Order: sequence, then structure tokens, then C-alpha cells
Amino acid sequence: MIEKGKISAMQMGIMMYPTITATAILLVPAITARYAKQDMWLSPFWASLIGFLTVYIAVQLHHLYPQKTLIEYSEDILGKFLGKAVGFIFLFFYLHANGIIIREYGEFVVGNFLSHTPLVVVMGSMILVCSFAVRSGVEVIGRLAEVIVPVVIILILANIILLIPDMKVENMFPIMEKGIMPSLMGAIIPQGWFTEFLLIAFLLPYVDDRNKGKKWGMISVTAVMLTLSLINIAVLFVLGGITSRFLYPAFSAVRYVSIADFLEHIEAIVMALWVAGVFVKIAVFYYALVLGTAQWLNLSDYRPITFPIGFLLLLFAVWSAPNLIELIHFLGSSSPFYRISIQTGIPLILLFIAKWRRKTNNQKLTQQG
Amino acid sequence: MDVVFRPFKIGGKTKAALIYIDGLANIEEIDASVLIPLMKENNAKENENTDQLIPVYHILEQKLTVSKVEKVQTITACIEHISDGNPVLLIDQQSEGFALGLSNWEKRSIEEPTGESVIRGPREGFTESLGTNLSLLRRKIRSPQLKMKSMKIGEYTQTEVVISYIEGIVDQALIREVESRLNRIKVDGILETSYIEEFIEDNPYSPFPQVLDTERPDIVVASLLEGRVAILQDGTPFALIVPVSFYSLLQSSEDYYQRFLISTVIRWLRYIFLLISLLLPSLYVAILTFHQEMIPTTLLISIAASREMIPFPALVEALLMEVVFEALREAGLRLPKQAGAAVSIVGALVIGQAAVQAGLASSPLIMVVALTGIASFTIPRYTTGIALRMLRFPMILLAGTLGLLGIMLGLLMILTHMATLRSFGVPYLSPMAPMQVREMKDVLIRAPWWKLNTRPRLTRTDNIQRQGSDQKPDPDYGNDKTSKGKGGS
Amino acid sequence: MSIVQKAAKILFVSVHLILLSGCWDRTEVNDLALIVGLGIDQKKDGKIMLTAELIVPQAVGGGGQMMGGGGGSGVSGQTVVRSGTGTTVADAISNLQEKLSRRVFWGHTKVVVFGEKAAKAGIRQHLDFLSRNPQIRLRSNVLVSKGTAKSVLELLPPIEQSSAEVLRELSESQLLLRVTIKEAMQMLSSDADVAALPMVKILPPEKGKKDLQTIAFIQRTAIFKKDKMIGDIDDKLTRGVLWLRNEIKRANVTVTLKGEKGNITATLIRAHTEFIPKYEKGKWKMIVKVTAEDDIILNGTKLDLLNPKYTKMIEKELENETNKRIRAALKTVQKEMKADIFDFADIFHRKYPREWNQVKNRWEQIFPTVEVIVETKAYVRRPGVNTAPQGLPEQEVKQ
Repeated sequence: MIEKGKISAMQMGIMMYPTITATAILLVPAITARYAKQDMWLSPFWASLIGFLTVYIAVQLHHLYPQKTLIEYSEDILGKFLGKAVGFIFLFFYLHANGIIIREYGEFVVGNFLSHTPLVVVMGSMILVCSFAVRSGVEVIGRLAEVIVPVVIILILANIILLIPDMKVENMFPIMEKGIMPSLMGAIIPQGWFTEFLLIAFLLPYVDDRNKGKKWGMISVTAVMLTLSLINIAVLFVLGGITSRFLYPAFSAVRYVSIADFLEHIEAIVMALWVAGVFVKIAVFYYALVLGTAQWLNLSDYRPITFPIGFLLLLFAVWSAPNLIELIHFLGSSSPFYRISIQTGIPLILLFIAKWRRKTNNQKLTQQG
Repeated sequence: MDVVFRPFKIGGKTKAALIYIDGLANIEEIDASVLIPLMKENNAKENENTDQLIPVYHILEQKLTVSKVEKVQTITACIEHISDGNPVLLIDQQSEGFALGLSNWEKRSIEEPTGESVIRGPREGFTESLGTNLSLLRRKIRSPQLKMKSMKIGEYTQTEVVISYIEGIVDQALIREVESRLNRIKVDGILETSYIEEFIEDNPYSPFPQVLDTERPDIVVASLLEGRVAILQDGTPFALIVPVSFYSLLQSSEDYYQRFLISTVIRWLRYIFLLISLLLPSLYVAILTFHQEMIPTTLLISIAASREMIPFPALVEALLMEVVFEALREAGLRLPKQAGAAVSIVGALVIGQAAVQAGLASSPLIMVVALTGIASFTIPRYTTGIALRMLRFPMILLAGTLGLLGIMLGLLMILTHMATLRSFGVPYLSPMAPMQVREMKDVLIRAPWWKLNTRPRLTRTDNIQRQGSDQKPDPDYGNDKTSKGKGGS
Repeated sequence: MSIVQKAAKILFVSVHLILLSGCWDRTEVNDLALIVGLGIDQKKDGKIMLTAELIVPQAVGGGGQMMGGGGGSGVSGQTVVRSGTGTTVADAISNLQEKLSRRVFWGHTKVVVFGEKAAKAGIRQHLDFLSRNPQIRLRSNVLVSKGTAKSVLELLPPIEQSSAEVLRELSESQLLLRVTIKEAMQMLSSDADVAALPMVKILPPEKGKKDLQTIAFIQRTAIFKKDKMIGDIDDKLTRGVLWLRNEIKRANVTVTLKGEKGNITATLIRAHTEFIPKYEKGKWKMIVKVTAEDDIILNGTKLDLLNPKYTKMIEKELENETNKRIRAALKTVQKEMKADIFDFADIFHRKYPREWNQVKNRWEQIFPTVEVIVETKAYVRRPGVNTAPQGLPEQEVKQ
């Protein structure tokens, strides 16, 4: 195996938490609010269903091919040529998706804080820092996540507590005014984020306590769901009807924090700590991409291609959209279908084929025997 | 020539010679227990069979009143013993010589270690003499399980190095690893354990110490009891302890001697000040040049007012004053003790005040620099403190480039580096990452002694249990414990 | 690669980082114009005039002098007011920037004042600018001034550092209405589409003081419909409105008891307003339940307030008084101005979403017909720290 490190199932769960939430708290609340209005806090619950499904698929595939990652076993399942093709689709998808993530991060930082700093510098510095973590392997990313995630969770909770004086519970009512549909509509976009749980297919082969992989995957989905719902509730309570008017509602709510005229304008600190969460997200995507590429090309080591792929990521981040408007449009319209079809659809097909092949193989074996 | 060759005759007949180095051997002892009894042999045996040579075993058993005698067969061994200060006795027609344990060189007495002072706790520290240091350890651990493995390092210095551990607690693989790393060292001489440290570190390019150095026997003993290995060297009071994690480098021995509640609070204070010592100047630069909205208006106005006459940008100003502070600190260390105190305090006060008045630095910055300086001294280990102090400078540069984002990226770099580090196989950030919830009892808090039932899981060792559980003191113990029916006893 | 080469590379990169970053976002504090107050006026030709109040930091005592011991401790700020004009607020800002040697910085803007004319012309596009700019705080207070906003910001307040600070402190005291940018936007995008903003008036300067040495204070409330100001109400009516918005924090109510000479004043400790919407047979009804807890702070009568009988009477009077205030506010705002600044629309929407959606578009006509039933309940908790009225001979006190 290319990767020699081992992580625990808990580390995997912890790694996945910021991998979903970090960017899901940026643009998603506004898009959800646009459809779901005051029911926006319900949407993460619906959206998480696909997260559970994806984890289930990944774990099932893992049981069939315990030592292999997604890229490796798609070759086993579909044969050399088709497998390589599907592997390429995945890799290209992760390259593109990670480029978008980096772009989201860059747009957020430049749009809110460093308006005169070149976007390339902001994104490039992040990719550089991530590439060091990626080069050090899955173990190091896991450890980093363990240090960073508690900080991120404390940060989210602290902000919500600080916002309590400005919250208005009435903003939540009437619940399900127009039935369940608006909240389901609002769930379409976050679904795209939940499908990212497919990444555990790249981590599961390196998990020490294999039997706990499923449990921690599910815990992670639940934690993400609750976090997103909690954030949506907090944002809704603070901003109410104008939530969808903001680009980054959660962040606008944070800007509203003011305790005793002293603890205010804390958004820059919040941003800095949030960056740590994004760091884990980009690193996990980046790692999956680098590892997958190395396996796809049958390399003996993935380290040498880390920096070249990092450079490619930067290019994709720049190319992914001409401006923020296009980016949001893509994320708010076609991206969930794109993401679901690749991250849940293809693995589901793979799982069916794999199961079917097992069955026919077994039948053959029994016939022969 | 400091090497003394003293030829004489045992019993007036057998030729013999005593070789020793002047100043290393104890001359009075040589006179009293070697020369007098051997030369007096002469008178005693005069009347008897005079032609016969006196057998060697006879000399050993009856005449030499020296407790430690070692037979030496080669010239190299002879030279080794002589340079250790042990006189070597050579007897005519004998293939062996005798190294006599009569070395005696100037030793410093046991004093309180100045680098690691405590308010409560033992006040003894290691000295330059290996023998003394080992005896200090033996006095604290009486068990025969305490093992010492000795080896020599340094082609010319031939310095004695001892690996010390407690058999049954320590992981055998760790001992083998330490031995193999020490055996790899090929060097002309070692003068301090830091030489060894640099040779056996896992990552030589890291600014962080991956080995703990201490002058305190109690720290060494506590580490041995936790299953660590100590490396002691002759000629320096500093012992090395491996493996260590980052958190153990932030602990002071006093954490375990003070009441646990207080120690917990002090630990947290230390963690906070650790961050301050690393980040405060860079935060100052970042907030003042990027995120001015974060400062309350009135404070911002007064900072702006005090900076109105300063010609430098905040970044340059901060770098400048930090360098000055580091210089003052270094000068305070190197100067003679009496002058040192004067330089560090008066220098800081005078230079700070003058810099403000001359319009070179603003007074808020002076405060930031001073606070950072104080914060860095709350870290009990000098090596850890200085690593963080030096990392402060790149952080200031990053803060001046990208603001808080730069600081965060810098922190992430440091964190990534620390997550990659290992000290003899133990992840540097453990037990935080990889997380071991049970080990948090000695990281996030300092659990009371009656709760510290297990040893830290550093390496694979079976002997985890440290003490019996359920030892919480209870005034009811002894009289009506049975009536409570707790535990069925 | 040798260690020296590596070190040289790192040094090279860091030096370039510093040099490069010079042209990015780094700004020294001393290159910033700290704007604390922003005024928006509309001129006769329809152009926007933007007035900024900024603080100029000045070191008192001089940093360069060695005398006087700890120099630089006495620091004060001086305020400067500058204006710029343009077709939009953003235009006006660029015009303003031309007249300023330092870069405008909005991070410390505390209040935004709309001139009366600008308010009447519509504030939506200004609010949009304010919320779109990442520097400006959503928590800044929004006010309307009688007269121009410039005249308010120009004042040199005797107590606070800047007139913006005065307005912020007055807003935050919540004696009358307090509205932040976020709240203003929420009100304008809510179902009712009306807003109420506090309105300030310049306090006439004391005798002997210069014209500018005074402050503006919050005295009235401006009512907006569809982002345009349609009128204003005075402080008494505003208090009634506050009751109906469940925003009342402080109030003193003075009552007289029947058959007694002199007044009793009670101060509000805690107040709560509950709204119970009702929709019956095409009729909209709102029951407003007001609960107030008071302490007595003045007793001008001869009554010994320790007698529970009197307490009951006072409570009764307090209820009447509160009721009267609320009624008056309802009369003006609901019946005359027809502006739903109490947000009844949202309350009905929450309880009767289906029915409300049918009348959504006609709400403006329906709102004045909503029947409002006010039920007040007042409790006197403590008589202050006195028992019988002070300064009165024992025999005259009525038990």
C-alpha cells in the first residue's frame, strides 16, 4: 500500500466533520433560506439522509474490498478500462470540487477581509500549507483534525451563545407554513455537501479499528446535521426574514455580536479560526485526490505528486468561475445534481455491480464444486 | 608530566609499578592502602622463605586494602582506567594489572538547580559527576529493577554515558531503539548531553525539543516511573529523558507537588501564556494594520494618537522592539549575575521609556513586548520557551502580510509540523492528537494523585497500572467503612 | 541541498513577502480616517450629500518632549466634519475621499443619521449600501434628524467626544426607540413593510454657549411606509408604541389617586407585552396583554404606602394610565397613519398563515380595521426604601 499510516475510526469521523461543515456554513444558509424560509432549520435533516446513504454505500464497498480505496476497487469491479475511466471521473471531480472549495474560501476571505489582496495569493498560501499536511500523510491530517475540530466546535457554540441576546424565537414561526415542500426544496443544495461523505472511501482502508468505521461515519453525519441545523436556527433567530438577502448569513450574524460594547467585531477572529476548519476540508479533499491519482497511475509513492497537483488545484480554483456570481449560481443550481450523481450515484452502481458479481462468482464456485 | 610512574618492590623483592595521573587519583589513599601494606611486606616476610615470589592472590586477598579492584589485561584498558583516575598496579611477571578504584577528582557538591527552581519539592540537583548522579537516582529508587546500562561515547573524550530505566515498566523495544541510536554516534568528543540530543533526535530540523533535559533527579525518577528512559552523561548535570510529548515539555515538576486544583489552574494559565508568548506581537501587528475595527474606538484613538509621531510601520516597529527585547534577555543571561539583573530590568525600563519618548516606539507596543517576554518565561522548560520565542518572528512577518489570516496559516504550519513530529515513536502532540481521552487527566487538568492510577500510554508496555484504584481519602475509612457496604468489604 | 541554501531560500521568500504585501490590505492606523458618524442628506437638486464625522487622534503633551514625565498619557480626539456630494451615497463617498488625506474607514461607524428630506425621499438604496459594505456594522444605530443630518453631526457635544457617540449612547439607553441597520432592514422587508426610526432634534444651547456646543437628542419617532417617511410622532406616543412593540425598558408613570392631593410616580422595573391574535368570521382582532412591574419612586400624597389597600389603588391607576398611552398611540398610528409599525402583520401571519395570505396584498387597508383590545396589568412591587411619606408630621399621614 502506498499509505503506511493508520488512523482510528474516531479520527476519521472527526476529519469528516469540518470536511462538510467548513464551507456548508458559508453560502448554503442563504440558499436554503431562499427556498425554505423559516423552515430552513429543517432542511439539514432531510439533506442528511443522503449523507447516511453515502456512508452506507462506502462502508459496504469497503467490506467487499477491505484493503482498497475507491479508485482501486472501481478497477476491480468494472475491469481495467472502464475502471480507469470511472477512476478518472472521480479524480477529475475531486480536482474540480476542491478547486471550487478553494475558490469559495478565497472569495470569502477576499470579499470580507482582504479586499485588495490578490485572490491567487490567498488561495495559493492555503494550498501550500495544505500540501505540507498532505505530504505528511493521513495520520497527520487526522491528528490535525483532532486538534482543530474541538476549537471549531467551541467557536460555533460560543458564537451562538454570544448571539442569544439578539435572538427572536418568533422568527421560527409558522412552522411548515406551506407544508413540507419548502424545507425539502431547501435541502437540495445542502445534499450536495452531504454527499462529500464519499471521501471516507479513501480513508476507510487506513482505519485501524475497522468495525467501528460505519459507526463513526454515521456519528459524523449526525454531528454535521445537528451543527448545520443549529447554525440555521441561530441565523434565523437573529436575522429572520432577511436571512436570504445576505451572501454569508452565518457570518453576518456573527458580525452582529456585541456584548457589553467590548466584545464586538469579533468576525476577524472567527474567520481566522474558521480558516482552520477549511484547512482540514481542503487537506482531506487534496489528500484523497493525491492518493487517488497515485493509485490511478500505479505510482509507488504519492508524495512527489503533491506539489504538482497543488498547482493544478490553484489553476482549477482560478478557472472554476469567472466571478462570485457565477460561482454561487453554479452552487445554487446544477451543482447538487452533479455532486449527487458522482458521489452517490456512481458508487451505488459500483456497489450493485460488485454485489452482483460476487453472487455470480459464488454461484459459479458452487456449480464447479 | 602529570602521569606518575612509581616503581617499587613488593616485600623488597618483586618489582612492581604504580601508574596514575596526578590530581585524579587520591594520593593519601594510595599511600595508606597500597604502598604501605605492600612495601611493609618486606619486613614481615624477611625471616621466611625469601626466594619465593609472593603469589598474586595473596596480595589481593591480604594486602591490598582497596575495595574496588579490577583486573586489566590490555594496555588500552590500562590507559582507560588511568585516565579515569584509577591507579593501575603492575607487578613483575604477571600478565594482569590491577586497576584500583582510588580515583578522586574535584567535585561540585550537590546544589539546588538554578534553571529549574521550585517552591515546593526536593532541592537537590545533578552535578557533573556521573557517580554522584547515579547515586542520587539509586537513593530515590531502591528497587533492583532500576537498571543502568553504561557505554562510552567520544573517540577522544571517552565519556561515560548511562542509559537508565526501570525494568518491567519500560518497553524493551524502546531500550533497543535508544541503544541503537546511541551506538550510531561517532564523534570525537561530547561535552554536554545536548550533543547526544542532536544525534538522536527524530527530526533534526525542528525548532521544538524532542528530548527533555533536566537537572532534577526527581523529574528523572518520575519519568522513569512513567516508563521513560533517562540518558545521563559524565561531566554534565543535564540528563536527557525520552520519549517526550509536547505537553510533558510544558509541565513543571511542581505541578505534582502543589495541590491539584491549583496545579490545574496554573497549567491553564501556562497554556494561555504559551499562546500569548507566541502570538501577542503578531496579533498586535495584524489587528493594528488589518483589522482596526476590532479595537474599541476609544482604545484605537489612543493607540493611533501614540503612533502619530512614529515613523515606522507597525510591523517594523514590532520587529525592532522584539529584537531589542531578545538582545536584553540574552545579555541578562550572559552577564555576571549581579550585573545581569540590572541589565534586564533597568535596561528594559530605560530603553522602553526612552524609545517611547524619542518617538521610536509607541507605548502600547512596549507593553505588548513586555507582556510577551513575561509570558515566555512562564513556560518551565527553557528549550520549549525559546523555540516559541523564535517562532514569534516569522509569525510577525506573516501577520504583517496577511493579517489574522497570515497568523492562522502560520499556526497551521506549526501545527502540521508538530503533528508530524515524533519523539522515539511517540507522536509529539499525544495525547491530544491522536486523542486518548484517558490521558487527558494529566493534560487538561492535573488529576489528584489518587486518580492517576495508570501510567501514560507512551509506548507498548503491559505494566500500565500504577497504583490501586479507589484510594480517594475518606474520613470514614477505617471506622465504619463496612457499614456503608461499599465494595462489599 | 545544504542547510545554508535552504536558509537563504527561506530568507528570500520572507523578504519578498514583506515587500510585496506593501500594496495589499495593510493600512497603518494613522492612515485611516476613523468615521464615527455618517449623515445622509438629500439636496434640492436631488443629489445626495454625505456628511462624515471623523475623529482625529492627537497626542496631547507631545511625544517628542522629554519633559513632564510620562508623556503621551493624556490623549484626546478632535472631531472633524466633512461632506461630499454625489448622485448616490457611494458617489458621495468618493467625493468625500477627495477631500480627506486619510482613507475613509467605516469599521467604527456608530450611527447613521438620515436627514428629514432624505428620509422622505426613501432610504432603501442607502440601507443597501450600508449593508453591502463589509466594513460597516449592521449594529450601527439608524436615526432620522429633524432638519439636515449635517447639522446634527456638526455639533460639538460638551460631554462626549463626538456627537455620534452622544447619539449612540442615547439610542442604547433605550428610553425611546432604538433601531440598528439590521433591524431597519428587517422592518422594511417584513410583511408589514413599514418602519419606525428614532428621530433626533437639536437641543437649544444653553445661554452663553456657542451655537454648536450642544447635542441632538432623540425626541420623536419617524414612521416609514415603503422606505419613505410619512410622518412622525412625539415622545409620549412613542412610549405607547414601545408598549405595543414589547420594547419598553424604562418608563416613569405619574398618577393621581382619586380624592387625594399630590402625585405618585412609579418606575418600570419589568414589562412584558403579549399578543394574542384572533381571526373570527372575517374579523381580525388582536388582544394585547400588557404586564408591568413597578417600584414607587415618589410619593407626593399623604398616604402611607405600606397599606395594601393603597397599593391596589395605585396599581389600578397605573393600569389606566398605561392603557391611555397605548390607546393614544394606537389612535394616531393605526387609525391616522395606517402604518403597522407594531408588526401585527407578522403576528397574524404566524398564527393564521392561510387566512393571512389571502389578505396579504390588502393589509394596508385591513390594518386600520383591526380591533385591538388592550388588557393591562400593573403590579407595584416595592415602595422604594421609604414607608410613610417623608417630611410629613406623623399625625398627617394617612394609614
